[in-house]
Amino acid sequence: MAEVKVKVQPPDADPVEIENRIIELCQQFPHGITDQVIQNEMPHIEAQQRAVAINRLLSMGQLDLLRSNTGLLYRIKDSQNAGKMKGSDNQEKLVYQIIEDAGNKGIWSRDIRYKSNLPLTEINKILKNLESKKLIKAVKSVAASKKKVYMLYNLQPDRSVTGGAWYSDQDFESEFVEVLNQQCFKFLQTKAETARESKQNPMIQRNSSFASSHEVWKYICELGISKVELSMEDIETILNTLIYDGKVEMTIIAAKEGTVGSVDGHMKLYRAVNPIIPPTGLVRAPCGLCPVFDDCHEGGEISPSNCIYMTEWLEF
Amino acid sequence: MTQAEIKLCSLLLQEHFGEIVEKIGVHLIRTGSQPLRVIAHDTGTSLDQVKKALCVLIQHNLVIYQVHKRGVVEYEAQCSRVLRMLRYPRYIYTAKTLYSDTGELIVEELLLNGKMTMSAVVKKVADRLTETMEDGKTMDYAEVSNTFVRLADTHFVQRCPLVPATENSDSGPPPPAPTLVISEKDMYLVPKLSLIGKGKRRRSSEEDATGEPKAKRPKHTADNKEPIPDDGIYWQADLDRFHQHFRDQAIVSAVANRMDQTSSEIVRTMLRMSEITTSSSAPFTQPLSSNEIFRSLPVGYNISKQVLDQYLTLLADDPLEFVGKSGDSGGGMYVINLHKALGSLATATLESVVQERFGSRCARIFRLVLQKKHLEQKQEIPKTPDHAPSRTFYLYTVNILSAARMLLHRCYKSIANLIERRQFETKENKRLLEKSQRVEAIIASMQATGAEEAQLQEIEEMITAPERQQLETLKRNVNKLDASEIQVDETIFLLESYIESTMKRQ
Repeated sequence: MAEVKVKVQPPDADPVEIENRIIELCQQFPHGITDQVIQNEMPHIEAQQRAVAINRLLSMGQLDLLRSNTGLLYRIKDSQNAGKMKGSDNQEKLVYQIIEDAGNKGIWSRDIRYKSNLPLTEINKILKNLESKKLIKAVKSVAASKKKVYMLYNLQPDRSVTGGAWYSDQDFESEFVEVLNQQCFKFLQTKAETARESKQNPMIQRNSSFASSHEVWKYICELGISKVELSMEDIETILNTLIYDGKVEMTIIAAKEGTVGSVDGHMKLYRAVNPIIPPTGLVRAPCGLCPVFDDCHEGGEISPSNCIYMTEWLEF
Repeated sequence: MTQAEIKLCSLLLQEHFGEIVEKIGVHLIRTGSQPLRVIAHDTGTSLDQVKKALCVLIQHNLVIYQVHKRGVVEYEAQCSRVLRMLRYPRYIYTAKTLYSDTGELIVEELLLNGKMTMSAVVKKVADRLTETMEDGKTMDYAEVSNTFVRLADTHFVQRCPLVPATENSDSGPPPPAPTLVISEKDMYLVPKLSLIGKGKRRRSSEEDATGEPKAKRPKHTADNKEPIPDDGIYWQADLDRFHQHFRDQAIVSAVANRMDQTSSEIVRTMLRMSEITTSSSAPFTQPLSSNEIFRSLPVGYNISKQVLDQYLTLLADDPLEFVGKSGDSGGGMYVINLHKALGSLATATLESVVQERFGSRCARIFRLVLQKKHLEQKQEIPKTPDHAPSRTFYLYTVNILSAARMLLHRCYKSIANLIERRQFETKENKRLLEKSQRVEAIIASMQATGAEEAQLQEIEEMITAPERQQLETLKRNVNKLDASEIQVDETIFLLESYIESTMKRQ
């Protein structure tokens, strides 16, 4: 009599059952579970069945496949996200994950390539796909105009990418900066003058000629010359340009936490100042500003005797 | 010596002393120290002329001599001293502001003659002042002597080194060239002279001075017979002292611009108190206590001690860092940071040049790099995937010392250009100038012999109206070029002081 080998299947070896068990496990451990955990939980299931179940869950988009240093992790996927990604394959999901992780700074296509190890052509295809699905968008970076960074569709790009208040559509608004520059300087100048005319003792005079960055910010906001809302850091960058113009000096004082305008226990104060020397003697002569100075010598094409700049200057 | 400096020296020597001196002087500047015969041979001038040229140069402190081994005397030109000739107007003007017309003329005489005895100076200055005074008034020698003594006391004029008195004159043949020495304490010692007299006019016409001309003449001849009491004691202008004064002026005006008038007065007082105690090349002045400063303030300033203390604290805390606090005794000890002050002034000069030449935006970048010391230009990440460690970062920085040197070189060349242009303009109109001089001479002589108004008119009309216009334009241009030379010299002074101060500290 031939024995018929019958494989006895354990009662709860139903594939759907396995999948549900795995999902339950994943929900128990929201950070993800390794294959080892599933094995421990259901020791009687063979590895192959486990693999089938996991693959099904992945393809259905209910599980996330992550790589960690210990191995592979399976994580329950957000049901909302699960709906979105229906129809995308694993590669797309991976790319989407990477872009999501980049937050609102965005990520460059080459960086996506590094992180996902996918070939360039694949990446481009996937990116086009995701863009058409309106899941991601490309934002032109202001730092390098040829570079495009990708970020999730509904995120507001970070200031470092768009340039913040000084850029409108990738164009540097130099006029706007100039106007703000002049306004801030006028404000500081009038403050210094009123302080000077008050004729009190010098300590008070000096202290009252200072204005904190917060005061300047309030003044500019009240002026209303800016259609974009400006933060205190924006005003501080404008005040920095005034420092580099040599018109304003800055000191930092320690301020109590909680006083208006203090950041981390200190405040920046600004004061209008005069330059310490008038324009120097050399620049009052035509030679100081001459563009062809190095070619000029007596007896040559360009010489002091026939210098047109000098002739013009003498006729002044 | 750079090419630009040599060119400028050549122009200056030619303008002040003539062709021959210029040839010898430039040759010496180019080749360093040389003995007499080599100079004569190399420049192709006769020995006699070389000797005369050297005399002139030595008299004006432009050439020094040294006795080398084997008794050879070598002459060396001092290029930097030649360049000081540009600054003569500024020295004279300073003397005028400090000691009025008398001081101005004394310094002028000393600068133009190199070295002079005190009596000669006093006499000449008195004569010159008398010329300009009203009829009947004369300048007393005593007044001029007083001013001279004051100049010596404040170290603006000093004695020239002397031949040492040798007792052992029979120790052998005298050296070919004497070695001149002067001791520190003798340098400003004014000899006791009793100079009595008054200045004389060059042409005393009959109308003025009724009996005085006759009375003066015997005295004049009497003077000639007496030996000059201070023979051998020669005086020269002390240029370093003037430079110290200019430096103080620059610091005070910088403080006045940055802060207010009172602060600058306080700084001026502090500098005045340190005039004698601190050497001109020290990086800091001696510490001064707040009490001392309070006592030495000028009489007009009646600010209370507390206010003074407040000002001093403000000065010490200012980001300019011109004044520093070095201790607390005596109400607070304060020093003036000279090296830092010169550095700030030099930096401000550089910034000013960048601003005027390249525009405000470039000035901003320049100041930014100055403040941050080393900056990186924002770089694009290179597209090639093979990132070798050799990807270099280019950092931008400003080296103030070499920038100052470069600018100084440009200043020298600029002044040379200005002088050349001035000479060119004068040469262009030489004919016209000569004509106008002739006409003036004719008019002057006719006035002396008593001519009629009509005749004078006729002579004056020899110069037509357009020619007059041309002369006016020429005069205006020459003045403008002259003024510009002096302005560029101001820049030179700041840069040179900074470079000197930095080199001394290294």
